[in-house]
Amino acid sequence: MRTQRKYPLFWIVLLALIFTTTIFSSLLAPFEPNAMDMNQIYKAPNATHLLGTDQLGRDVLSRLLVGGKVTLFIAIISVVLSSIIGIIYGGISGYFGGAIDAVMMRILEAFLTIPSLVIVLALQAIMQGSVWRMAMIMGVTGWFVTARIVRSEFIRLKELEFVQMAKMFRTPLWKILFGHLLRNCIPAIFVVTIFNFAGAIFTEVSLSFLGIGVPPATPSWGTMLYTAQNDLLVGAWWMGLFPGLFIFVTILCVQVIGGTFKQGGRSHI
Amino acid sequence: MEVLSNKGGDHIFKIENVAVHLNGKYLIHDVSFTVPKGQITAVIGESGSGKSTTLSALLGMLPAQAVMEGSILFNERNLMELSEQERAGLRKKHFFTIFQDATNSFSPTLKIKQQLYRLTASRLGQKEEAFLGKITAILKDLNLPEDVLNRYPFELSGGMLQRCMLACAFYNEPDVLMADEPTSALDMLHQQEFIKLLKNLHARLGATIILITHDLGVAAIADSMIVMKNGEIVEAGQVAEIFKEPKHPYTKRLVANHF
Repeated sequence: MRTQRKYPLFWIVLLALIFTTTIFSSLLAPFEPNAMDMNQIYKAPNATHLLGTDQLGRDVLSRLLVGGKVTLFIAIISVVLSSIIGIIYGGISGYFGGAIDAVMMRILEAFLTIPSLVIVLALQAIMQGSVWRMAMIMGVTGWFVTARIVRSEFIRLKELEFVQMAKMFRTPLWKILFGHLLRNCIPAIFVVTIFNFAGAIFTEVSLSFLGIGVPPATPSWGTMLYTAQNDLLVGAWWMGLFPGLFIFVTILCVQVIGGTFKQGGRSHI
Repeated sequence: MEVLSNKGGDHIFKIENVAVHLNGKYLIHDVSFTVPKGQITAVIGESGSGKSTTLSALLGMLPAQAVMEGSILFNERNLMELSEQERAGLRKKHFFTIFQDATNSFSPTLKIKQQLYRLTASRLGQKEEAFLGKITAILKDLNLPEDVLNRYPFELSGGMLQRCMLACAFYNEPDVLMADEPTSALDMLHQQEFIKLLKNLHARLGATIILITHDLGVAAIADSMIVMKNGEIVEAGQVAEIFKEPKHPYTKRLVANHF
């Protein structure tokens, strides 16, 4: 019987707030994010600059909002890409099984033995470039878990009677794959995608913090933390604190929401 | 259709010397029996006795690696000589199968209405309005509330889902209804109710029913019966006779344990 799922309303609203403010950042930002003001260098948070200014007198709040757009954009594009690859790879492996599955899974395991951050690091170092390229690199290296989950779901579902019945009536293969198998994997894919999204934010931040992520001139949460390494030395604590808080709260929201769906999903699947 | 015409004989299926082997191992062998038209035939045996394999062979749904020998005649037509497409046509129009696990017979994320439609009217090429009218009446006959149509499978009990399957059989009026352990996943109360409904269906539609079960209590509703053990038929005959005077030691034990 149906168990009532408790929606984490607070966290959804908070995440929606972060999303809308970053999407409309160009309208909402109180200052032009790249406008320098030499009279306002390293000002602590005050009434005009709510979160202070940086070493070039740029408004931290404005840069955080615009930077959030870059970070979340990279995270979304990479997660969409990795989900598509993961679904196709896991789906083929799980549905056809046998030798195809064995080969595909050994390849996947080979990838899994290397932490994906290391693969991303290597690829980024070779072809460092635009925001798009970074999203692509994260996408092609982030599909391993999705593929495994889709595979195991396909293996479980394809043996069930309703799929056997569909086969019995010679339902076209694409209908079985999409209408019966993929359709019933969506709850599981949804949950893993949410967690991948949190992971993608973290990867962007980590790479940019190491200086090999988003090009340094582009504000993102990661590049802001990167420059904050020096700013903290001169006592500009707000340079590190606020980007850190934004990252922390966003990832927390995503994780809590993902966690609720993970638990709620069980009664369905 | 040619397959439909019953050219002589009162049997709908004639199975002759069927053997199925998979990777060099025989799943069933020397299986020969006939299924009388319009009667209930029970296939009895414990798990691994080959009764489900026999059913798969009748349906033409054996695993791809399995090899089959012998012949299966459906209305005097050898199923082995049919193309895969013709066999699918038979399964669509003339057979209906009910499986043991009703919960898994339905896709978890589709509403019952859509699934019943796909299993019945859409196969026969009927419109949705016609379907709704007919299925509602059938559901009422089967003591199912009308709103099951707008529910998801996980909202219904196993017994209700099994009755939904039975509703499809009532709708399709198949020539042959095959039921593979239809009551094994149900509790005692639902089992008896299901059996009653199955008898009701048989009386109303006159369909041939092949009932696979390990439960002699369920097999009691059948006219004739086949007892299988280790991939072979050990005894076959009228249910009443076998119950009264079992011949094979295995059947004797089964009957003794039942009463």
